[in-house]
Amino acid sequence: MARQRNCEGTTRRDCLQFGIGALLGTGLVDSLRVLGDSKNTGGPKATAKRCILIWMDGGPSHFETFDPKPDAPTEFRGEFSPINTAVPGTLFSEHMVKLAASLDDFAMIRSIRHNQGNHGAGNHYMMTGSPPRIPVGCGAFVSFHPSMGSVVAKELGNNNALPPYFSMPQMSRSGGPNFLGARYAPFVVADDPNKQSFKVRDVALPKDLATTRFDQRTDLRSKIDKMVRLNDEAAADPVAAFDQYFEQGYNLVTSPEAQAAFNINQESDATRDRYGRDSFGQRCLLARRLVEGGVPFVTVYDGGWDHHQNIFPTLRKRLPEWDNSVAALIQDLKERGLLDSTLVVALGEFGRTPKISTLSGQKTPGRDHWANAMSVLMAGGGTPGGTVVGATDRKGFSAVDRVLSPENFVSTIYHKLGIDPGKVLYTPQGRPAHLVSDATPIRELV
Amino acid sequence: MAITSSLVMDQGVSVAQGTEPPPVQKPVHSQQPVDFENDLQPVLTRFGCTSGPCHGKARGQGGFQLSLLGFDANFDYEAITKEGRGRRVFAAAPERSLLLMKPVAEVAHGGGKRFEKGSPEYHLILNWIKQGMGRKVPDAPSLQKITVTPAATILRNNETLQLTATAHYNNGTTRDVTRLAAFQSNESPIANVDEYGLVSAGTITGDAAIMVRFSEQMAVCEVTIPRPEPVPPAMYAALPRSNFIDEHVWAKLERLHILPSDLCSDETFLRRATTDICGRIPLPQEVAEFLDSKSPGKRSELVDRLLLEPDFADHWANKWMDLLRPNPYRVGIKSVMNYDHWIRERFHQRMPWNQFVKELVAARGSTFRNGAVTLFRDRRTPDEVGTLVSQLFVGVRLECAKCHHHPFEKWSQDDFYGFAAYFAKIGRKGTGVSPPISGSEEFFFAGSSGSVQHPVTGATMQPKPLFGTAEVTADTSDPRDVLAEWLTSPDNQLFVQVMANRVWADMMNRGLVEPVDDFRATNPASNQPLLDALGNHFRDSGFSLTELVRIIANSHAYQLSSLTNEHNAVDTRNYSRHYRSRLRAEVLLDAFEDISGIPQSYGAMPAGTSAKQIWTHRTTSLFLDTFGRPDPNQDPPCERVPDSTVVQSLHLMNSEKIHSDLLNKNSHAAKLAESNQTSTDIAKELYRRVYARNPRQDELILVAELLDAKDANRKQVIEDLMWAMLNTPEFVFQD
Repeated sequence: MARQRNCEGTTRRDCLQFGIGALLGTGLVDSLRVLGDSKNTGGPKATAKRCILIWMDGGPSHFETFDPKPDAPTEFRGEFSPINTAVPGTLFSEHMVKLAASLDDFAMIRSIRHNQGNHGAGNHYMMTGSPPRIPVGCGAFVSFHPSMGSVVAKELGNNNALPPYFSMPQMSRSGGPNFLGARYAPFVVADDPNKQSFKVRDVALPKDLATTRFDQRTDLRSKIDKMVRLNDEAAADPVAAFDQYFEQGYNLVTSPEAQAAFNINQESDATRDRYGRDSFGQRCLLARRLVEGGVPFVTVYDGGWDHHQNIFPTLRKRLPEWDNSVAALIQDLKERGLLDSTLVVALGEFGRTPKISTLSGQKTPGRDHWANAMSVLMAGGGTPGGTVVGATDRKGFSAVDRVLSPENFVSTIYHKLGIDPGKVLYTPQGRPAHLVSDATPIRELV
Repeated sequence: MAITSSLVMDQGVSVAQGTEPPPVQKPVHSQQPVDFENDLQPVLTRFGCTSGPCHGKARGQGGFQLSLLGFDANFDYEAITKEGRGRRVFAAAPERSLLLMKPVAEVAHGGGKRFEKGSPEYHLILNWIKQGMGRKVPDAPSLQKITVTPAATILRNNETLQLTATAHYNNGTTRDVTRLAAFQSNESPIANVDEYGLVSAGTITGDAAIMVRFSEQMAVCEVTIPRPEPVPPAMYAALPRSNFIDEHVWAKLERLHILPSDLCSDETFLRRATTDICGRIPLPQEVAEFLDSKSPGKRSELVDRLLLEPDFADHWANKWMDLLRPNPYRVGIKSVMNYDHWIRERFHQRMPWNQFVKELVAARGSTFRNGAVTLFRDRRTPDEVGTLVSQLFVGVRLECAKCHHHPFEKWSQDDFYGFAAYFAKIGRKGTGVSPPISGSEEFFFAGSSGSVQHPVTGATMQPKPLFGTAEVTADTSDPRDVLAEWLTSPDNQLFVQVMANRVWADMMNRGLVEPVDDFRATNPASNQPLLDALGNHFRDSGFSLTELVRIIANSHAYQLSSLTNEHNAVDTRNYSRHYRSRLRAEVLLDAFEDISGIPQSYGAMPAGTSAKQIWTHRTTSLFLDTFGRPDPNQDPPCERVPDSTVVQSLHLMNSEKIHSDLLNKNSHAAKLAESNQTSTDIAKELYRRVYARNPRQDELILVAELLDAKDANRKQVIEDLMWAMLNTPEFVFQD
């Protein structure tokens, strides 16, 4: 797959990430965990059952997407023109054609701002609702707090063979479980569903292994497996968990429904074309299949939004495809009657600088990191369509009306999914941690 | 006199039934002075006002912030009497003070009703306001310690016991503070404790520590709940004892009325010792030789042999790399690689542990020449290094005390910044970190300037050890040398015990103290005499890791079977049986390489490298990621997950790489298939290779039926057998 690079030049291998935690059962910790768990009840009423998060890593420009500033001077305004949307008076930038036409179906938040202007920290803040505890570098991939996906995996779980949290094609920088433990790490689908050879690693049989041979093997395995199990639950035999996971894995491999969720070839050509025949479009389609299969949280990681240079030619090519794929996802969910219960969210870690500039050593202009303003798209799961929350100033410098925080944003997601954003979690060290420190959701959207 | 004020409890009460609060004397008249620190603050802590989720959190709650758990009296006094425009206390009409109306829910209170109007607590606060809200009662004594009675006890299942907490003051007075103390059990299924200090033993056998906290003082009551049926002492006397470890383990088991499991089989021991000591699985040849050997001392001979192998050094270095290795994207590839070499080399030299720690903690020189200084390239501030060093080498987790007094321990911010001050004068030259490349060289030396300030008082901190003395004088060129001497001093019990506990936990799969680097009075060891003895043995052997591993591996306790007997299923922390564990990611991958016969290759590593020799977790390996290795992106990066996951099961089941290695024409399976070995020989080879044991009769028959069937495809049969074995717990786990 094509690796996306950010300004500092790092790439991320595709992998599963594991958090801290899951230490051996230590008493104090256990009791605190139980204490924490006992507070699970009484969350808000869920309006969404599942969430697709489109993560625009690098930080997309709000000017060129959902918050154009036609009245600003040229060096702010940029090369693109505004267009009207389905909501009179609200403008999008010119390449957001399909989304502009369907703004009735989703909401925009234009007034989230924070103070973490580098990728590592911004990712962490927006993905977890918690600012990094210590200053972190731009290229950092950090985790101090569980990500939304891991929390949802823990709170909502999944009652069929599929894992509860997927991330494609990689885990986002701060998308891990942190102290919740490895069970809530995302299941990463690295391969490209736009490729003919697409398959999800390890969930289907090796390509040249016949099903009959697999059956023989599992049959043989059951004959060979002679390890004595400690049946008394008090003995805490770790083999019991191994057995469960083997069975779960076996069910995933042999479950037609689970395999169908991965089998993007079951979609008609028309549907596949509608989402766009590129990696991102097909990942959006796969995300829809996964949530249909019962997965409560899917992250579609979409890198490469860090446009320090050459911003206009790049976006001119990229935005129409992106607009098409996201609009197709929302419309497809709507047509299938799933939009009411499925939250779709698209954002990056921050917006971009109002003034267009050419960095030293670069030949073409771009915009740089800017956490004072950004645009966030939210659709479905009870989100009132056509709502535009807040506004930035005339030049797009800063959110000025109805200023909101990453905490408000993350609380909104949890609230919609029926998870109390104010609940207190306990780390394995017994330290209490608020799920979100300011548990106020965005009232216009819930 | 504050000490005899309104909350004195009836001394006669020792055992209460049910969960009613212990009886309290009626509040006496308001003439008795109420002291802010001795009387009022404990109420705020007892009723949760100062807890982390409420007013104790960093931003407070509803605009009202108190110090976490009331460790900062001045701060709390200011918050109550002066902030919020003084409306929290109202001298003219004390009953109308928010400090009273909120907790009894007379006005809306986010925290709900905390106590009743008219309760002793209510009157105490009321009296304090009426008396003028003084910061201190003149001549009020200061709290010196608390004790809990009893300090240790043995309970029967379902028995209850009321604890008594007593505060001791510097003027010799004492006071019963049971009603104001906080109680917490570290094993609530074994012995639970309610908020009034009533301990209830559960239905299972084991022991628990009940932590009692009052003001900034802690005490612990150790509760043991033995099995109901006693075991005759003669049965313990008859147990074999290989060395002092067994004495201590059996003594603890005797207290619990538990008998240990049987000795494990030779085959189990071989695989257990080889994976534990060398991080690899035994080769078929080794299996045959060991099982055939008639030597009565063959187990200890095996241990001796394993300890000489280079794999021993790489395996244990790999564990320490987990704890020490920073993210190469942060500090630079070359620094991390040099650091790895520095650590690995010392394990290969079998360097005494005190020497290792001394060289590391006081490391000087260039990141390109002395890998040890990478520690200081990564941890750039005194507080970052201080936290790491105290946690790794003396098991003291100071990080809580960076921002507030440690909630379960005596450590204050003074301790934290005093310890950090040893690292204040580190000199640096060259280029610092510049992620993600950070490729430049940096030098570290004993500098002459630099200091650490207390974040609250602003005072410049003098270097001060956590206990004992380690004085920095005018002649000291590098305070780190003084610290290194203090750390590694033969008198420093924690230094040897932390290492002994880590090694014990690695081999026994459960630390005497858990988490292994969290040593504190409120987290007692499950067997302190054993921990003492192990630490002493380690020190007396010249801080030798080899000797520590040897004494553990040679103990009878280490060699117990994992199978439970009628006594010990419930035991998960007293070593009455061997606790199973999943093999580490690197051990499993190297094992797979040994089994398949197809060498794995790792980026930027020479051919023939084993997984445990990889110097950075940035090396791409789906297998290692799947089975869990520390994630350098996490903070802290060192934790490893011993759990099984569905992703692991799927990987063993379906991984293309595992599949193609098994089917490779150069694989062991292919070679076996092409050979003219009989089905019996092949079965022996497979079982020895994967499980490190000989096949049993029914297993021989099974393999023979498959291999000798008409039209059998020998290669496929062997591949399928290998696949099946790799997917069983007998491969993935150490038994």
